[in-house]
Amino acid sequence: MIRTFLESDLYHNFKHTPVAVISLGIFLLIALMAIFANIIAPHTPFEPSTLNLMNGFTPPMHPNDFTGDVFLMGTDNQGRDLFSTILYGSRISLFVGIMAVLLSMTLGVTLGLIAGFVGGWIDTLIMRFADIQITFPSILIAMLIYGVAKGLLPPDMRYEMSITVLIISIGLSEWVPFARTVRGSTLIEREKEYVISAKMLGLTPLQIMRRHILPNILSPVLVIATITFALAIITEATLSFLGVGVPTTKPSLGTLIRIGQDFLFSGEWWILLFPAVTLLMLALSINLFGDWLRDMLNPKLK
Amino acid sequence: MTSKPVKPLLEIQNLDVTLKNRDSYFKALDDLSFNVLPGEILGLVGESGAGKSMTGSAILGLIEPPLFISKGKIIFKGKRIEENAISVRGSMISMIFQDPLVSLNPLRKIGDQLVETIRTHINIDKAEAITYAKNLLEEVGIDRERFNAYPHTFSGGMRQRVVIALALAPNPSLIIADEPTSALDVSVQALILALLKRLCKERGTSIILITHDMGVIAETTDRVAVLYSGRLSEIGKTSEVLNSPKHPYTQGLIAATPRIDADSLKTKLYQIPGTMPDLSEIPDGCPFHQRCSKSIPKCSENNPPLLYDRASCWLLEKESV
Amino acid sequence: MSFLTTSHLSRYFDLSEPWLVRKIKGQPKKLLKAVDEVNIGVERGQTYALVGESGSGKSTIAMMVAGLLKPSSGTVLFNGDNFFNPSLGKIKRMSMRKSVQMIFQSPYASLNPRWKVGDILKEPIKAFSLIEDETNQINRVCELLEQVGLSPRDMLKYPHEFSGGQRQRICIARALASKPEIIICDEPTSALDVSVQAQVLNLLKDLQQAFSLTYLFISHDLAVVSTMANKIGVLKQGILVEEATPSKLFLRPEHDYTKMLLSAAPDISNASRI
Repeated sequence: MIRTFLESDLYHNFKHTPVAVISLGIFLLIALMAIFANIIAPHTPFEPSTLNLMNGFTPPMHPNDFTGDVFLMGTDNQGRDLFSTILYGSRISLFVGIMAVLLSMTLGVTLGLIAGFVGGWIDTLIMRFADIQITFPSILIAMLIYGVAKGLLPPDMRYEMSITVLIISIGLSEWVPFARTVRGSTLIEREKEYVISAKMLGLTPLQIMRRHILPNILSPVLVIATITFALAIITEATLSFLGVGVPTTKPSLGTLIRIGQDFLFSGEWWILLFPAVTLLMLALSINLFGDWLRDMLNPKLK
Repeated sequence: MTSKPVKPLLEIQNLDVTLKNRDSYFKALDDLSFNVLPGEILGLVGESGAGKSMTGSAILGLIEPPLFISKGKIIFKGKRIEENAISVRGSMISMIFQDPLVSLNPLRKIGDQLVETIRTHINIDKAEAITYAKNLLEEVGIDRERFNAYPHTFSGGMRQRVVIALALAPNPSLIIADEPTSALDVSVQALILALLKRLCKERGTSIILITHDMGVIAETTDRVAVLYSGRLSEIGKTSEVLNSPKHPYTQGLIAATPRIDADSLKTKLYQIPGTMPDLSEIPDGCPFHQRCSKSIPKCSENNPPLLYDRASCWLLEKESV
Repeated sequence: MSFLTTSHLSRYFDLSEPWLVRKIKGQPKKLLKAVDEVNIGVERGQTYALVGESGSGKSTIAMMVAGLLKPSSGTVLFNGDNFFNPSLGKIKRMSMRKSVQMIFQSPYASLNPRWKVGDILKEPIKAFSLIEDETNQINRVCELLEQVGLSPRDMLKYPHEFSGGQRQRICIARALASKPEIIICDEPTSALDVSVQAQVLNLLKDLQQAFSLTYLFISHDLAVVSTMANKIGVLKQGILVEEATPSKLFLRPEHDYTKMLLSAAPDISNASRI
């Protein structure tokens, strides 16, 4: 299995495309640092007892005037180490992004498969609904779902459920590209003879969709998943920036940017800059990798 | 037979086309040589992957990386053309593809497309070009009145006629027709082939007809070249090659072709064992020797050259001795 | 009665515009008669060939015989059973499915590219619950591969590792897996090269003898049909215009369309004519 991959054209092309190697490298670096944040991070920024307010507004790589502590990326107003908050923040951003993509992928692929394979009025229903949804910006949809969900939840659960609600609202706002692509591929695959011969065996539509069509339409799904992943991270950041996302006690990159924004004009530029650059690197590396993947898997561009 | 030799229109001499895949090189065309005489229809026949279409592309200068011409000459009307840009060939060589829609713009009237093609190649004014275009349509059997019709209003066979008219527009001396009738029904195919034959006779245009169908070869061509694994196996007058093939591959190919015959149900078709090897798996010696029932030890050692201007097979050498 | 009979088999396709557009423009419904009142009878162990050009309805008939497309009117009967009989029980329907299999034109699209050959061949065995035991399933797959001239080792490979002719052999093995009585061959060799075509046609003949199979052979190529069929039906725009044995059809064709087809078909025997 690994050998076939190492000998494949995909891997060969990957090795010879610096953009792909570098973007995957940057992404993996951020992702690994985020995953092992509790080992790597020099401070635990969300433990109020470890914070020293005197350390507030320490510039990067500069000893604090009162305590003499040095911080790689400086500290924010509460004296939290920015490097550590970014690591923990990336972790939340990545988690929300991955879960949201998984949700929208599952939803989009399922609906697209059904629409394409079954056809008829079910197809019309699903795709018209998709058409309607895509006319609204996805951030608007996410905010709408977020607002409705928050309203429905009992007040004492709002706080602990906020990340779940965030994932659901981003996930529900991004399923349309998956459904459209999958429907298109399904329409092509279902006319192929291997599907007809599966019908000759008396298999049920569900069996044919799952066992025969699904494995053959996954490569475009992979590309969309990558691009949607970047999109989901940005949407999450936007929502958190607007203050409707994750709570400030568990800040994601978006929350950090919002906090930093308050201090931009009073000279504490680092509080905004470092989380923003991390978000940029994350989204850019995923997008560039996704572009490369699309070029590789799209037979029209080959 | 004429007493003095006719000067060939197109000469291909020792042409090699190489495929570069990562760090390996494979010969897609290997030491290919043949001529096309003025006013003849030469058939290029072979199985898929034998290099028929690639030969056509090489003549037209359409070989692109990862393929490249690594050896040999293509001489057209006495001039070497293998390294020149496509524009040099320009109006002299036309191409007809299997799918007529490749050559036709679906959004433009066929008349406009014809006039445009005519005026890029011939320096005449628009009114003249329109008359010329209408004459061309008539020549290929399409009503002049359909000058302003769009491609989608034509049937498959009629579209292929429009494509032929487009190919004729620059008044070329050579037309390369790559499987021009493979997508058509037999009844339409017969008409298109008859049209090509008539044009060849009336205009003196040479045609290279690329096909996999031995029946089409038999009914259309003057001479035929049989390709196998990028090499020329046999070449000669169509009737001679089909009636007394010299190369075991040609013999097998002819015996394997089904014939319309009330008795053929009772017998089995002759079958050549195995399949044509991939480019990366072509054996040493004669590329056909592993499938050949008549192979001798020499066949697996040396690749036979074209003997007696007829077939690349060591058995011919033995025969003459 | 023949093993397979179609009586007054017809299939219409609705090509009319959407209902509202039709009402506004005052147009009637536009129906295409793809297959029109076709009656054929195929004897057990024989090959019946349907010949026609594009648009003749030959593939539509194949789909209806295979039970994948409901006839607009008329019936297809196998030994008196009809796929579209609503009172047909589930068990009976499965046993009919098992006995009617199909091979297709494209050797590339007819095998699932993500499945290993062994899994492709195991699928019908599992779907019809023919063999429950894993080891015996594998033995059966080996047997099938050998019957079509492939090696048992090939079951671990993926379809893209095979040539067109070998893939068509895999398709034949898959069709054989359920031990069918009739195989519908829809242009089985028209995508193959001549030398490979001969191999596949000969294989089909051998298998017919070995398993006393019945073939419904669909083709546009009269030369191919002449090597395979005991009886030939000529289709033109959905209508069966002539039906005869090969000796009669090739020597004394009656219908003008048959005569035209015969004279238009390129034949390698005609080289001497030049």
